[in-house]
Amino acid sequence: MPVNRRRCLAACLCGAASTAVSWPGWGAERLRIGLTPVILADQVAFLSRWGRYLSSRVGTEVEFVARESYQSILDLLFSGQIDAAWICGYPFVRFEAELSLLAVPLYQGQPFYRAYLIRSKAPSNDIQGWADLKGRVLAYSDPLSNSGWLVAQAQLAKAGVSTRDLKRGFFTHGHRNVAEAVAARLAQAGAIDGYVWETMRAQNMPAIAKTEVIWKSEPFGFPPLVVRKAQAHSQTESLRQALLRMGDDKVGRDLLVSLNLTGFAPGQPSLFDSIRQQAQRVPGSGVGS
Amino acid sequence: MLRRLPYRVQIPLGLSLAVLLAAVLVTAITARVQAQNARRDTLSLLDRAVVLVIAQVRPLLAADDTWRVFSLLRDTAQLVPGADADQARLAILSPDGAVFAASDPVKLETGRQVLGEAWREQPLLSAMEVDQRKQLALSDGSVVLIDPIRSEDGQTLGFVFTEVEAAAFAPDWASLARTALIGIVLAVTVLVPLGWWVGKRMARPVGRLVAVIERIGRDDPGVLRDDVPKTTDPELSRIGDAVEQLMGELERRKAAEERALSAERLAAVGKMTAAVAHEINNPLAGMLTATQTLRLHGGTETIRLRTIDLLDRGLQQIRTTVAALLPQARIEDRPLEPGDLEDIVTLVKGTADKQKADIRFQVEVESALRVPSAPLRQVMLNLLLNALKAAGDNGTVSARLQANEDRVRFCISNSGPVLSVERFKRTLAAEGGKDPRGFGLWVCQELASHLRGRFELDTLETQHTCLLFEVPNREAPEGQT
Repeated sequence: MPVNRRRCLAACLCGAASTAVSWPGWGAERLRIGLTPVILADQVAFLSRWGRYLSSRVGTEVEFVARESYQSILDLLFSGQIDAAWICGYPFVRFEAELSLLAVPLYQGQPFYRAYLIRSKAPSNDIQGWADLKGRVLAYSDPLSNSGWLVAQAQLAKAGVSTRDLKRGFFTHGHRNVAEAVAARLAQAGAIDGYVWETMRAQNMPAIAKTEVIWKSEPFGFPPLVVRKAQAHSQTESLRQALLRMGDDKVGRDLLVSLNLTGFAPGQPSLFDSIRQQAQRVPGSGVGS
Repeated sequence: MLRRLPYRVQIPLGLSLAVLLAAVLVTAITARVQAQNARRDTLSLLDRAVVLVIAQVRPLLAADDTWRVFSLLRDTAQLVPGADADQARLAILSPDGAVFAASDPVKLETGRQVLGEAWREQPLLSAMEVDQRKQLALSDGSVVLIDPIRSEDGQTLGFVFTEVEAAAFAPDWASLARTALIGIVLAVTVLVPLGWWVGKRMARPVGRLVAVIERIGRDDPGVLRDDVPKTTDPELSRIGDAVEQLMGELERRKAAEERALSAERLAAVGKMTAAVAHEINNPLAGMLTATQTLRLHGGTETIRLRTIDLLDRGLQQIRTTVAALLPQARIEDRPLEPGDLEDIVTLVKGTADKQKADIRFQVEVESALRVPSAPLRQVMLNLLLNALKAAGDNGTVSARLQANEDRVRFCISNSGPVLSVERFKRTLAAEGGKDPRGFGLWVCQELASHLRGRFELDTLETQHTCLLFEVPNREAPEGQT
């Protein structure tokens, strides 16, 4: 009880301080976080709610900036237009020299996720694995996505299938679009983030009912939130703490449930070693040995 | 059935039916027109959709972005009729004619070669042959449009492949029927009661006119005129005017009838006066002769007394005739006597002498006479004078009075031209009608009728004219003299 009382008092003091001191300065000090399709980030009401939550915790206005492609978010991050970004593990390892981890989401209690290969549920679809994709249409998510491109390149190579052997391959600018492209049978198979597919299934999205998973990868480090090593925002640490403590209060827990996550962890670059090693095996991945 | 209903029901009912029929007809025609326009509208909409797709898809093709092309087609296809029922689809073909992306990847799977291949068992043009829009009408009624997509410098970037199945061109009969039903229900709900109300309003003056016509002849025309509805409708105004004119005509006719009745009464009075004068005049000639006889031979006692008696009976006859005209006067008449015939013959003797006519008479009375003397003497006098007139100069008149227990008969004939039955009837009619010249025969007929007897021409007698007057041998009916 005394602990709860102290937390409550601290929260009130924090809120009062934020209201009295930080609000006037928010326009100049605001903290912008870039979002990529690693999450289902097109729910404006949710992002607004999450932004208000983080703002109250950080003491600075926090807002989210969503883009369809990973590259756009990275461009914004490297140009200083955003202060942090939720990207995939592949671009993290690719640009690891310039980026540092802010936090790593915990999915089902672990900082890992898997990549899926999905196919449409059409009776005529006899694709059983990567080796069956010859002469078929494959949907990717993004050229900088681990599960949505890098894994596929590695597995196709492993199965002895070159990209030229595909009938066609195209990017859908998001994992959700991969599921919808396969469900509409625009593509016969798709490389998708397993966390996104499972979240879509949890939300009963129609596209999931028309698709099925035919392959799952080994666990990879979950797409992390990163900041630039140079010129980090003064409130970066506050933001990190706010993310790490989201599981400590009900509002934060509700937001995590909406994200289909269980929390955030500080994370270590070694979490992404498997991605790094995989990228090193894929020609043209930009990740050197 | 409609014609059996009252007019004031026919009008609103007919108007309501007309509204309903108009609603059904308009709806049917609208549905037909919509059905005819459905195909044209669908093709027109396709044109606009293709223009939109071509404008939007160029940068996407340049970026080789299959997903965004698919999104564009999927969204655009929602504008095309039949797309929601899987009857229409759009696809972007690559420059070699293979599917780049389609709104319906199930029917047009990605990468499938379309141009130059058979489509619904009908060969399509190759990519090289499509240099402008090609519209193909397939045997099953489907329409395929192939539009080239060109860059600004004229390079072919691909093609828009549009297919609409025949079912999409078919009018949506269910929707049309629903719309028609709504229209009809609205018409019935709103217009039919309105039509009924308007019809009742239109028919109300007619009903009032009918009520007025029904009261013509019973009620005062002045009141009826006030009840004739005043309306601005020209037809109803004409009917109202006609009713007022009819009432005016009836009033004038009634006035004319009253005038005619008055004139008739005056004529009857004149006629009666003439008849009385005639009946008085008849014995006067004989009585004047009697006064002449009295003047010349009055010294002889027998002749004087006989002449005075003759004058007395003649005056009594006149008195009886005149008294018959006075309702308050009741003169006791004596029964006829056998000598009355000789008396009458004496009265007309002067007239007969002037004509040098011969009068023969015969009396055959077997029973007591009970008939009143005045009417019988009047009949005998009239018939003798008529017979003398008919017999002419040097003619012969025969009179016979017969009586038994039951009947009294006076029969008179003359040697003049034979009178036919038709002429006898015409004479009676003429005397009883407009002809004012004589009343002798007519009075005889009236008296025969009054005494419940008969007066007729004896048709058995063919050589001479013989008139027969016969009455029951009893007293005159009660209240008559």
